[in-house]
Amino acid sequence: MSALEIENIRKTYGALETLKGIDISLESGEFLVLLGSSGCGKSTLLNIIAGLADASGGDIRIGGRSILGVHPKDRDIAMVFQSYALYPNLTVHRNIGFGLEMRKVPAAEREKAVQETAKLLQIENLLDRKPGQLSGGQRQRVAIGRALVRKPQVFLFDEPLSNLDAKLRMETRTELKRLHQMLGTTIVYVTHDQIEAMTLATRIAVMRNGRIEQLGTPEEVYDHPATLYVAGFVGSPPMNVLDGVVTGEGVQLDGSGTIVALPARLKNAAAVGRRVKLGVRPEALQLTGDTAESPVLDVEIEVVELTGPEMVVTGRVSGQRVTACLPPRTRLTVGMRHAFGFDEDALHLFDAQTELALG
Amino acid sequence: MERKSFPFSFFIHACALLLAIIILAPVAWLFIMSISPAADLTAKPLVWWPQTVDFSRYGILLSSVENSAGAAFVASLVNSILVAGMATIAALALAIPAAWAVSRTPSVGWSLYMVIATYMLPPVALAVPLYFGLAHLGLLNSVFGLALVYLTILAPFTTWLMKSGFDAIPREIEAAAMMDGAGLFATLRIITLPLAAPVMATSALFAFLLAWDEFFYALLFTSDLRAKTLTVAIADLAGGRVSDYGLIATAGVLAALPPVVIGLVMQRALISGLTSGGVKG
Repeated sequence: MSALEIENIRKTYGALETLKGIDISLESGEFLVLLGSSGCGKSTLLNIIAGLADASGGDIRIGGRSILGVHPKDRDIAMVFQSYALYPNLTVHRNIGFGLEMRKVPAAEREKAVQETAKLLQIENLLDRKPGQLSGGQRQRVAIGRALVRKPQVFLFDEPLSNLDAKLRMETRTELKRLHQMLGTTIVYVTHDQIEAMTLATRIAVMRNGRIEQLGTPEEVYDHPATLYVAGFVGSPPMNVLDGVVTGEGVQLDGSGTIVALPARLKNAAAVGRRVKLGVRPEALQLTGDTAESPVLDVEIEVVELTGPEMVVTGRVSGQRVTACLPPRTRLTVGMRHAFGFDEDALHLFDAQTELALG
Repeated sequence: MERKSFPFSFFIHACALLLAIIILAPVAWLFIMSISPAADLTAKPLVWWPQTVDFSRYGILLSSVENSAGAAFVASLVNSILVAGMATIAALALAIPAAWAVSRTPSVGWSLYMVIATYMLPPVALAVPLYFGLAHLGLLNSVFGLALVYLTILAPFTTWLMKSGFDAIPREIEAAAMMDGAGLFATLRIITLPLAAPVMATSALFAFLLAWDEFFYALLFTSDLRAKTLTVAIADLAGGRVSDYGLIATAGVLAALPPVVIGLVMQRALISGLTSGGVKG
């Protein structure tokens, strides 16, 4: 039995449809990340699961029981808000224990649960403070503690790391992953940060305009993006996209005669004459000699940026922009031309009109 | 903050001092008048500082001899406290739920704007209808009647003030409490109202002052010791053939004391900033 089943959930505001039929089924212990840019409906979906917003249609079941129409407190869920939403007038101890207090859990049992949670999150020394006396990272921990202590079936996270600075965000991300591995809880997590999604999720749902573009493991989403949107959204720098048209020998890029040969798996994906978009991740590109057998792009180099661990090279092939991530010691100068090759498995092909992956 | 030059900080302090003098001068003069001998107050040119200090008027106003000026003054003091106190408590009791409801349900916000619109009417426009209404209910010349009239003034004002107070409390905090299993009243009692305490105290203080200082309706709807309030009593002191300016000033000083005491008592609650730290930032 699935821990969480989302079935054809719709949400409309008047004529505006923000969720157009969402279907997700989540096993117990899964970490689902709803990924998308702002306005894609991911927060609306989370609020519907939480009971803070009503769905216009469809059903949600937790542990087989439909929860639409059930009061949020009886849904067996806990939520960590983007703004933390701690109770500023109560101590950390009471903040964490509030859910148990309201559920009439005996004081001794409550005390034990609060202490255990505080120990898990390493905030035992903060229990007597008020939220106003805590740093951002500490408040985040208290907010997580308040959700953990109740041991609900499903945890909901609404962009919990977006208010932290870059370093703390990374630490907390790792911490969350550790907690999930240790506790094996079922989590639904909303973010617009693709790195968070890739690192935390067991499954990612990439959302756009109220629909799920792709639902799959981080590897699937990264290696086999179902649409051009997913290909561009996941990965940093984003995937290179080159316009072209299918010919008998491969794909002829617009703006020049460069022909990129298609690997066997893509040979019959598109008919000759069809307009397509070629996708290659920057990290898949590497310098090659002219005699290589793999597909080759002849790039005119325009900008070379050393980030430390890697060198980001931007250039043009047939007038179309291309970015490559190379090892940091690569010797390249602006203005020179160089051949870039890539493994044929790294080639993605999308229909220019529907933007769906081909092959 | 950047370092300031000496002339600049001198200027700042001079401005602050000037402001304090402008605000405090009338109050100081009121007090000086109340302890000056009557001759000094009518002398020409005016004697700014009394030769002898005379506290006797405080004794006159606070005496409890029957039918004296003191008895009338003390009765009006009690009436004022009763009327302003009752109106303030009733106004808060109405305004807290109303303000919370309007703050959390923006779609009914229009009702508050309509109530606020009645504020635009000058009091004199309502005087006659209110007079007939009170007469019909038998509440003329009664502290309850006057408190009821004041309630119609205070309730919109306090609701308005507290709505902005509730607006400042993030709804997510209440959503979190709801998911934690707190019912509506538990949420209000444990979370929302303590967070709104500063604005509630401010509203209460301003409401009390508004009722305490009201003169027009009090003059119209009260006629004797049973309901006359301080403002009317002070006007009575000035209304006779011979006016004792010192006595009026003394009444003014005494009338200012209760609000000052209440302000001092509530000072702690007035200090806001209690909400900081609950959400980001």
